[in-house]
Amino acid sequence: MIGLMRAESLKIRSTRTTLGLLAGMTALVVLVVVLTGVFAKSSDLIGTSNQLSLLSYGSFAIVFAGLAGVLLVTSEYRYGTIRPTLLFNPSRARVLIAKLVASFLAGIIFSVVAEGAGLIAGLLILTARGLPLTLSGGDIGLLIGGTIAGTALWAALGVGLGSLIRNQVGALIVLLSWIFVVEPLVFAFVPSVGRWFPGQAVNALTGLASAHLLAPAAAAAVLVLWASSLAVAGNALMARTDVS
Amino acid sequence: MAGIVVVESLTKRFGRVVAVDDLSFSLEAGTITGFLGPNGAGKTTTLRMLLGLARPTHGRALVFGKPYARLRRPPLLVGAVLEATGFHPGRSGRDHLRMLGRSIGIPDARADEVLRLVELDGAAKRLVKGYSLGMRQRLGLASALLGDPELLVLDEPTNGLDPEGVRWLRDFLRATAQGGKTVLISSHGLAEVAQTVNRVLIINHGRLVVESTLEELTSSPDGSVCTRSTQPQRLLHALRAERLEVTEASDGALAVQGATPERIGAIACAAGIPLSELVGQASSLEGAFLRLTSEVAS
Repeated sequence: MIGLMRAESLKIRSTRTTLGLLAGMTALVVLVVVLTGVFAKSSDLIGTSNQLSLLSYGSFAIVFAGLAGVLLVTSEYRYGTIRPTLLFNPSRARVLIAKLVASFLAGIIFSVVAEGAGLIAGLLILTARGLPLTLSGGDIGLLIGGTIAGTALWAALGVGLGSLIRNQVGALIVLLSWIFVVEPLVFAFVPSVGRWFPGQAVNALTGLASAHLLAPAAAAAVLVLWASSLAVAGNALMARTDVS
Repeated sequence: MAGIVVVESLTKRFGRVVAVDDLSFSLEAGTITGFLGPNGAGKTTTLRMLLGLARPTHGRALVFGKPYARLRRPPLLVGAVLEATGFHPGRSGRDHLRMLGRSIGIPDARADEVLRLVELDGAAKRLVKGYSLGMRQRLGLASALLGDPELLVLDEPTNGLDPEGVRWLRDFLRATAQGGKTVLISSHGLAEVAQTVNRVLIINHGRLVVESTLEELTSSPDGSVCTRSTQPQRLLHALRAERLEVTEASDGALAVQGATPERIGAIACAAGIPLSELVGQASSLEGAFLRLTSEVAS
């Protein structure tokens, strides 16, 4: 099982796609933090909730980690590497577990890079503008911990989604439209439902203040439930489906 | 002695289509078997079931006495190449092998070893997208050899190979068999593998048509003549008019029973039909294959 996880980890690292995702993510996080930090009025950057949202852009990592998770499964089907993968390891459940673990670990790296870049850029801007940091150490701790846990779980969630929708383009469309269209709309209009969704769970985990979000611990449980349900469903589907 | 591969009443249905129909055969150690049949005969589906990638509708396929999925670290016993497309284009050949090897605890050094074996060591660090089709076939073969298996299963390994590549593969497989290993090699044509295999299984429409040694197949008093024309339908009618038994292959070739090439040539000449190919007893092997795998023309 350890060998299988090492193999999956090498799969993530050995193509340039992952490097591209990391670079794109870091550039996006820094860009948004800089634009927000430079153009916001000083009075808007003093409040704790505004500072928190300035420093929390690292949670964009969930999108990129989710993409990496989806790709870890769907590229196998797109390029046919699923055949040698299963010839070497006929147990599809074990392959899926190895992918979940490897992507979870990759998600930690994604979040550390993104949150690290976002935090450094945000703090530098606050310092440069002579604004005091009004967030407590606890706030920042929750932000960092929540982003890491949320992103790692989103990577695993991506693996589950990819194992359910093995068509790469289809899975990516579902993932992106879920994050950017479905969740924001549902949360805006029916927050009592939207708060149970995995993206809002990450917001809750990072300590973003909103009357509608779940408590951080509940949000963590909800995320684990999402990731594991998708993986269980994907596993059931993969066990029944022939590989061509 | 139990066969290394035992296939029993293997059946696969896709909806109403029966791709593999009650197929049974077994392979003994040290043989090189050609698994032959026209495209769509069910060869790949059979191999996929043999290798645990597809589930049989009925029957079973055992390798080394067990279903493939029950083998512990199967690549140490069975090496398989199904298609030359199982690579991520953005990954190097060496990383592809390392990734597979690591998954079952084969050291990275073995990846370099098999790359030398298939003469790809010069391209080891290049991305697969820069590989030619022949190089991809060899990379597939390298992955099958990683575990130094006893049985090699190759699906259409000569597809896309240039003549030099075919010769290289033939020499390689002969050397492999001399080392006591067992090889199952599928192909849509007999010519591709005739010089390599010593036993043939011919299937058509998912059913076993012939199981014999190569010698039996060539020495059988088949006597069919293989011929082609730019006007195959006219030729077919002209030959049938002479009460000859003619079978037609999907590619337009005709297998004629009970007539010499001279007589067929004369019939065609009299009818004014141009012939593009007329091959007699010398290649009755191809004639037999054609007859066994072609549709009985109605």
